[in-house]
Amino acid sequence: MENLNYKEEIEKATSEVILENLRIKYLGRKGIINKLFEEIKTLPKEKRREKGQKINEIKKEIETLIDRKKSELKKTQKKEFFDSTLPGKTYPKGSLHPLTYVIEEIVNIFQKIGFIRVSYPEVEWEYFSFEALNMPKGHPARDDFETFFIEAKEHQKFGKMILSPHTSSGQNREMQRVKPPIRMINIAKTYRPNWDATHTPMFHQFEGLCINKYINITHLKGTIDYFVKEFFGKERTIRLRPAHFQFTEPSFEIDVSCGICLGKGEFGGKKCRVCKSGWLELAGAGMVHPNVLKMGGIDPKVYTGWAFGFGPERCMMMREEMKIDDIRILYSGDIRFLEQF
Amino acid sequence: MNIKITYHWLLDFLETDTLPFEIQKYLSLAGPSIERVEKVKNDYVFDIEIISNRIDTASAFGITQEAVAILPFFGKKAKLKSNPFEEYKFSKIIKEQKEDDYKLNISIKENNLCSRFSAIILDDVKIGPSPSFIQERLKAAGIKIINNVVDISNYLMLTLGQPTHIFDFDKIANSDGKSTTMIMRQSKKEEKIITLDEKEVNLPGEDIVIEDGRGRLIDLCGIMGGLNSCVSNNTKRIILFVQTYNKQKIRKTVMTTGIRTLAATYFEKGLDEERVEATLVFGVFLLKQYASAKIASKLYDIYPHPYQKKKIVTTFFFFEKIMGIKIPKKTIIQILNSLGFETKVYDEKIEVFIPHFRKYDINIPEDLVEEVARIYGYNNLPNNFPPPAQVLQPEEFEKIFKVSSKIKYFLKHLGLNEVINYSMISKKMIEKWGLKEKDHLKIKNSISKEIEYLRISLLPSLYKNIKDNEGKKEALKFFEIAKVYLPKENDLPKEEYRLGIALNTDFFDLKGVLEALLLELNIESFPLPKIIKKENVFLTEIPLLSLIEKAKLLPKFKPINPFATIKLDKTFELKKDLTFQKIKEKALKSPYLDKIEVISLFKNKLTLRFYYSAKERNLTEEEAKRELEKV
Repeated sequence: MENLNYKEEIEKATSEVILENLRIKYLGRKGIINKLFEEIKTLPKEKRREKGQKINEIKKEIETLIDRKKSELKKTQKKEFFDSTLPGKTYPKGSLHPLTYVIEEIVNIFQKIGFIRVSYPEVEWEYFSFEALNMPKGHPARDDFETFFIEAKEHQKFGKMILSPHTSSGQNREMQRVKPPIRMINIAKTYRPNWDATHTPMFHQFEGLCINKYINITHLKGTIDYFVKEFFGKERTIRLRPAHFQFTEPSFEIDVSCGICLGKGEFGGKKCRVCKSGWLELAGAGMVHPNVLKMGGIDPKVYTGWAFGFGPERCMMMREEMKIDDIRILYSGDIRFLEQF
Repeated sequence: MNIKITYHWLLDFLETDTLPFEIQKYLSLAGPSIERVEKVKNDYVFDIEIISNRIDTASAFGITQEAVAILPFFGKKAKLKSNPFEEYKFSKIIKEQKEDDYKLNISIKENNLCSRFSAIILDDVKIGPSPSFIQERLKAAGIKIINNVVDISNYLMLTLGQPTHIFDFDKIANSDGKSTTMIMRQSKKEEKIITLDEKEVNLPGEDIVIEDGRGRLIDLCGIMGGLNSCVSNNTKRIILFVQTYNKQKIRKTVMTTGIRTLAATYFEKGLDEERVEATLVFGVFLLKQYASAKIASKLYDIYPHPYQKKKIVTTFFFFEKIMGIKIPKKTIIQILNSLGFETKVYDEKIEVFIPHFRKYDINIPEDLVEEVARIYGYNNLPNNFPPPAQVLQPEEFEKIFKVSSKIKYFLKHLGLNEVINYSMISKKMIEKWGLKEKDHLKIKNSISKEIEYLRISLLPSLYKNIKDNEGKKEALKFFEIAKVYLPKENDLPKEEYRLGIALNTDFFDLKGVLEALLLELNIESFPLPKIIKKENVFLTEIPLLSLIEKAKLLPKFKPINPFATIKLDKTFELKKDLTFQKIKEKALKSPYLDKIEVISLFKNKLTLRFYYSAKERNLTEEEAKRELEKV
């Protein structure tokens, strides 16, 4: 009993947990003190009382020492510095390709007004990319869509196998799949043989197609204006300018008002350096050419429709956050680019 | 195609109160886009983008015709001062013809080469500088100044939209000095001509050329003249040469020889034959005035199929149907007339006669709607939503897009980085990956060895992603969802969406990602995809459809067990015939086992925690221990 060194042990304790363990060690149900009380039973009767008193004294002493130490520890603990400005626990942060967010945003915007997203072949027959879009063989308009050709046997009816240079090849495919009403958007990878700071051989396009009875130009304007306001902001507006595409008639070039000068072409009394004239080119569009409807098995006397084609990359780079001066970085797979998003 | 003309050049034909910058604004909205206006001396230069099917607008007069229709709709005054098509008729020079002085022996070998052939010989030409207004305008247009004769030829093109050519008559004259032979034919393959710019061109064959009757080529028609017949400082007699050619042939020659001149850009679009007359007569006027030329031959004009005015019949309702608003009949008629279309109205019907300068681009009623709508102003049309219509997304598309989005966000939150790679890869990548080149579709006209074959697996690209990024970041974890292109016999390839994952940490990292993903998609019983190790990279690839088929919105609900769960830990020494899999299989034989957790692995000592419970009562510790004994 004399060799118990509880005093020292309690004095050395540095935390409440250690103190608690000491309490259990000495005062617990199976603790040292209880053991000592058990041992009393083995002593002769006359010695029991004296011994019992002594153990009780030690017990009280331990209790007092532990209590004192506890409040001592509490005091010193309060003074310990707690730095709440340290960063929180680190969670993994991955990233999605910025185009994934842009495409998702576009799809959501169009889904809200009842357009469905479809997907059609990227490796296509010439027929769907050209003939079905009112661009017969040898037509110069085909030059506007420089095309990759695949080494493969030509199809008797549909011609050569190509990588589709635009998403418009999905127009005829959609018309073959369903009869009007048609309301689709088709966002896909497209391919053209250009590779420099402003072109990549693979890029994305996003096609809208709306066909029904009595669809007219105001519906095209309304839809694109809605998209522009949702995607770029309420203050933006669109304008249509005349253009020529083989697969639409009438055809338009669609401009969106510049986000910096808001279509004025001037900013702080100076020429706007972003847009020069107040407007940025956004898309090509038009009313579906009657020949295209016919080739899709739709009677142009009964139905009319519109179509447009945008570049998601361009839409993305027209946003304030994404001033990219070399588009090739999108497909470089560089982690320093990817992990930012 | 862009052309440059000046404000004052327009004012030769246009009477207006519109300022240059207003012209830019209004024309760009309703007609050709004027991309830039630049002040040069006392004039303004317009840089104009010509709409590809509107080659008729590619001249000072062409733009004037547009302005006359467009500007009044913006409240501006605009009238035609003079119309060269009416002013410069052959009748103006017909009396000056000299039948006997000089002669052309023209022979056109095939009738699909040239839809109109006109020419005239002029004598007493004095070569010198052209007048300053022509020089200044051409300089503004970006055209090199040569001499009065050549400058006038270029000036005609930009004023009226019809290219011309001028030969030195004497250089190609027959031995009598009074006549020259011109045989228009198709070139033979490998035939040679030295063009004006002193370059020898090896002709691909079937190009339109002119031969002088002695086997010498003197003109690569529509593209560039021959050096042997060009105007020089000593030129006395010239042939003013105004033609319209078969546009497909010109285009083919441009594409195969790579020689693209401004003239060729006009001809390959297909020119209006009626323009030839005004251009030749105006040319004679200019050459007389500024090069003291005199007419020295008869007027040659071979024009087998003159334009028969075509008409389109439609209804007023058709305009409303496409434009979406009803505009007054008289406005429709006014617009069409201002653009040079004559109209006849029968009640609700309208007959529209197409002027010669629009004969190639106006073919169907929709073309007329475009004319009316653009001049009326697209900005004056309201913005409407299409009337509601129910359209259902095919289930397969819906699932693909929904599940891939879920997968993408989940992997992102696990700390992976999405990458989008090119669908095309190099032969080197294929071989390095142990795949066969012949199993891939090959691009015939690729622009780089890097992108020659269409991927049949995402892994070569993902492996390359890791390798390319080594040193930039320690732990690299990429994924991609994209199509692969699996070739099929005599058909388009099968385009299959795949999910590919690659990382450079360790095997269990990738395995953990896959297990977590299956859990996230609520997929039960899915064979764990094969994990490939290549050097320090771990990769896997799964057909997306196999995940989509099994993915569920919600997992199966299990009632909460109110009875006690007994947790027991046990340590095993792993060896070949005692793997975790084996332990798990054995343990699962117990009807009371809920799950097993790995607590620790030290060397080959594996500590597992087993959770036991019964569904109808409290399991005792003894019972659980007995279950564990069996393992």
